[in-house]
Amino acid sequence: MLWYKSWLETRWRFLIGLALLFCSAAASVAMYPEVVKLLPLVPQDVGGEIGRKIREAAELSRSYRGYIWTNWFRQNLLQMATLFAILLGTAGVLSQSGGALFTLSLPVSRHRILGTRAATGLAELFALAFLPTLLIPLLSPAVGESYSVAQALVHSVCLFIAASMFFMLALLLSTIFSDPWSPLLIALAVAFGLAFLDFVFRLETFSVYRAMSGETWFRNGRLPWEALLTSAALASAFYAGAVRNLARRDF
Amino acid sequence: MKRSGVSSKRSFAQEVVVADSWIIETAALRKTYDGVEALRGLDLQVPSGSIYGFLGRNGAGKTTTLKILLGIAHATAGDARVFGLDASAPRSSEEIRRRIGFVSEEKDLYRFMTVEDMVRFTARFFPRWRSDLEQRYLRKFELPRDRRIRALSRGMRTKLALLLALCRGAELLMLDEPTSGLDPAIAEEVLQALIGHVANEEMTIFFSSHQIAEVDQIADRTAIVDLGRVVLDGALDDLREDFRRIRMVFEGDAPSGDLRAPGIARVQRKGRVLTVLSRGDTNPILDEARALDALSIDVSPVTLKEIFLETVGGEE
Repeated sequence: MLWYKSWLETRWRFLIGLALLFCSAAASVAMYPEVVKLLPLVPQDVGGEIGRKIREAAELSRSYRGYIWTNWFRQNLLQMATLFAILLGTAGVLSQSGGALFTLSLPVSRHRILGTRAATGLAELFALAFLPTLLIPLLSPAVGESYSVAQALVHSVCLFIAASMFFMLALLLSTIFSDPWSPLLIALAVAFGLAFLDFVFRLETFSVYRAMSGETWFRNGRLPWEALLTSAALASAFYAGAVRNLARRDF
Repeated sequence: MKRSGVSSKRSFAQEVVVADSWIIETAALRKTYDGVEALRGLDLQVPSGSIYGFLGRNGAGKTTTLKILLGIAHATAGDARVFGLDASAPRSSEEIRRRIGFVSEEKDLYRFMTVEDMVRFTARFFPRWRSDLEQRYLRKFELPRDRRIRALSRGMRTKLALLLALCRGAELLMLDEPTSGLDPAIAEEVLQALIGHVANEEMTIFFSSHQIAEVDQIADRTAIVDLGRVVLDGALDDLREDFRRIRMVFEGDAPSGDLRAPGIARVQRKGRVLTVLSRGDTNPILDEARALDALSIDVSPVTLKEIFLETVGGEE
């Protein structure tokens, strides 16, 4: 029954995320013909890193696979999955929705309470990573294109593993702070901070965002093992920290 | 302690048989929050089968004690046992919670669930869940099954929290300020439900309160806690028997010197009248009063309120 409670606590965040990602995936596919028409209008004289990114995106969009990767996996899905991983992780382990003392008075261990909460959140994150992406192979024939289901699944696996690091960070923070805002703001600050570091220093091998988008898989068919393993290790460490923290905490 | 077919707290007290075990026992229990001492060596023994009122002012350490007994907070030092099990060990704490019905002061339940959801959810954790009581109390408390908790009044939430505690098939009910924030009519209904429940079920009730009248109404034993320590405990009837008010009237102003007889808990002078709150044998005080040529000496029983105010140092 703890599953049921966790589901009720997080369902709106999950369902809103799922609806937004479905819309975004459908829009990405539907807009491709328009994007192709606009490609010749892309300015070539914008300098700096931003200009380089625009030109790269335009160049990649000349192929449908490149367009889907740059528009969906590297941009829309990556940003929204990061946001919803954090939102799902901060959806109150024992604080926000009321009833913390009631839950703690039940004959279950804190480890089990946290484990159920983490498993529910990860299952929802898994659905967010896979279901909207699977819409792309399904809708692509509508614009006269095709997209491989296998490609979609590989990118979703990368996204899920790397995003689970943000989820576990948010979960850890929600066991430290009893208010709902501190964990959310700190986790978002960490996400922005990592994006900034990635942008400035062009992190390659250990970039969590490059791992989330499956960049090495897209460019040369190689899975980003180093970053994925690092993300998984960090996620496990954050979870262990959350377990330890919750066990020691007074309510 | 054995009890049967009783309908009021007075008859509970009369039917008290010597307790054969402590259902709750703490020794030198200490708890510090950020340098503030909430408990300062609390010693408590609650006999099995009693209705035990844990009386104290706000901030005296009542809620902290309950939380430590339930494993919701961790003691800084000392020992806390429930059913003889160590409340600080995670595994035994789980077993303790399996055998306890708890109602928190905030009556905080899951706001997003309906009454029906909340009942079904809770029932799954307790193998001895009493479906018969569930149906009875749903009817008695007139709880709307399909209404969300967030839409319930505080009174309704208290009744639901009580239902969830009573139906667990628990051996021990722990209630933290069960009637706090309720209007007198609903508070009375809740207290009557408790009295009615224990009349039919073999169980112990341990409840915290800062309302003396409430403890006086339903408890058969009490501990008065102040500044994190138990300052007085025992059967209510024994306490009332133990304490006496002795009112002496003198011809002129009451004598200003200290009375030397043992058992004097408090002395109050007002013109010709000297009022003494005594504990234990009153004869030495009466002898001294006669020696001081008191015109009249009147010995009368005292209320729990007077005992409470005396022991926690409050003003009458």
